[in-house]
Amino acid sequence: MFIIGENIHIISEKVKEALTNRDREFFMDLAVRQVEAGAKAVDINLGPRKKDWAEVFPWIVETVETVVDVPLSIDTTNVDGMEAALKTIKKAQPILNSTSAEPERLEKVPLLAKKYGAKVIALTMRSEGIPVEADARVNIAVESLIPRMMEIDLPMENLIIDPLVLTVSGCQQYCPHLIETVRTLQYAWDPAPNISVGLSNVSNAVPNDNRPLINRVYLAMLMGVGLQMMIANPFDEKQNDVIRWIETKDTGNPLARVYNKIAERTANSEEPQMEDFDLTDAEQSAIWKTTQILLNKVIYADSYLMN
Amino acid sequence: MPIEIPKDKWPGKIQSVTIGAAAAEGGTRTKSITIGGQTCMPYLHYEAPMPNRPVIAIEIKSRKPDDWSSLLAEVWGDAMNDPAQWAKKAEEAGADLLVLALTLADSPEDAVKAVKAVLGASGLPLVVWGPGQAEKDNELLVPVAEAAKGEKLVLGICEDKNYRTIVATAMANGHLVQARTPMDVNLSKQLNILISDMGMPHDRIIMDPTTGALGYGIEYGYSVMERLRLAALQGDTMTQQPMMVTPGFEAWKTKESKVGEGVPESWGDWKARAINWETLTAIALVESGADIVVLRHPESVKRVSEAIGELISV
Repeated sequence: MFIIGENIHIISEKVKEALTNRDREFFMDLAVRQVEAGAKAVDINLGPRKKDWAEVFPWIVETVETVVDVPLSIDTTNVDGMEAALKTIKKAQPILNSTSAEPERLEKVPLLAKKYGAKVIALTMRSEGIPVEADARVNIAVESLIPRMMEIDLPMENLIIDPLVLTVSGCQQYCPHLIETVRTLQYAWDPAPNISVGLSNVSNAVPNDNRPLINRVYLAMLMGVGLQMMIANPFDEKQNDVIRWIETKDTGNPLARVYNKIAERTANSEEPQMEDFDLTDAEQSAIWKTTQILLNKVIYADSYLMN
Repeated sequence: MPIEIPKDKWPGKIQSVTIGAAAAEGGTRTKSITIGGQTCMPYLHYEAPMPNRPVIAIEIKSRKPDDWSSLLAEVWGDAMNDPAQWAKKAEEAGADLLVLALTLADSPEDAVKAVKAVLGASGLPLVVWGPGQAEKDNELLVPVAEAAKGEKLVLGICEDKNYRTIVATAMANGHLVQARTPMDVNLSKQLNILISDMGMPHDRIIMDPTTGALGYGIEYGYSVMERLRLAALQGDTMTQQPMMVTPGFEAWKTKESKVGEGVPESWGDWKARAINWETLTAIALVESGADIVVLRHPESVKRVSEAIGELISV
């Protein structure tokens, strides 16, 4: 699993404060720790920085590259800021996060990727929004995103398609469709495009206590259909366990068996079955209930585990 | 050529809920009412019989409201000044049960007095609403619940910010609760879970998924109710409560019902329009699976009742 570490994100109060203070130590530490925890790239989302982009983007790139060698993912809607970052990057091939099928972004961002030899994440989203159905999202990739890359001669290996994870709390019907989108996208083109998702979006607006469980179960399903890259929290040890168990087909303990079974069922286009779980075990019972909300079988509620 | 109609066989069943207790059950109602119990989507008689018909509640208030349409004041007349009189007239108008809405001006003594007066004047099962402010709701509904112990009232309105006190007093005094959430399936289910978690039995919870009037979001309300009902029939126990909605309240706050002047002439007769608005809103909700509709105008009650009669006849 290629994890793009998500922790340098302006939504965090600590990140916000460190940025205000231009606290180099804070960002260097956070970047190093993510890489040590297994992140293969580091996402940098400081927002659009409309006023100070010319100073902030080079500053953060220089700061982080002082201590890590991995690719940086420049996560912003500000195209000027993106370019300022690209000009500063000296180490690994950067990732632009992101473009979509919206005309203005699809015009500009891939050209930047081309000019600086970067990879680019492309969202399966049009101006009208995000379609629910898997087919419609695959169509956006095949009809808009991939043709645009071909048009400007951007190598396919530099394209990463993000089919957009939405939260189970409020957009529940999207959750099973996303799984099918990841499955289908791999057959939509030759060579198969790279695919990445923002995993923790699946538990946005969910009470914090339940978020990691929902993320883990969804991850097992997505790994079942072949997901190999995601923007995620590399410090989540239980999530890292799930990744290791599925990647190595380790079934040496009951939880590893359960998560592998979920991945296997999803791979075979089957749904997890009650008999796959030991429902007398509280954790397995919670995992079973989580599969049911993620597949939109049972309506989500914040207290769904009490149901 | 014979055509075979496809039939769904659902694993789940809507919870049956009985409102009101007659003397034999420890109350003073002349009859109780049972709603719910369905095992298929609404009115698909070829799949399963409809065990209980949807019912109509008429909303009355403990004091004459000053913000209701003059069309309502005209039809209820002086009875609006006296909840007992109003209750009697509502029963005559064909209500299956009554909703008594308390007001902010009521003291706990006033509230108890109004509830007792209504229980004395009419034998119909009764729903009692607080004025809709958390603290005041609790202040009024607790003494009401105690004073009417055993009547199997429905106490409302429980919302996610304020349900504990109402549920506790309903449990202690043998009443039911109305659980309201903004139009959202996730929140409806969540409140049912929270109320059940307090120990309230499922046969004493009625859910109110909130609705909008015709032209003001009814389609969203309709979809939410439909989705809840589908989930319930699929076996999700926390969505299996019968549903109660308030088309009267919603329809009478729309411009089309409220205003008789300064509107396009093509809108036609005000009174006819206002009653049509309430009637059409209510019938759409009945068709989406509502078990109780709360109305305000007697003519709407008559028309909705006729429509229900047609829907339930096989």
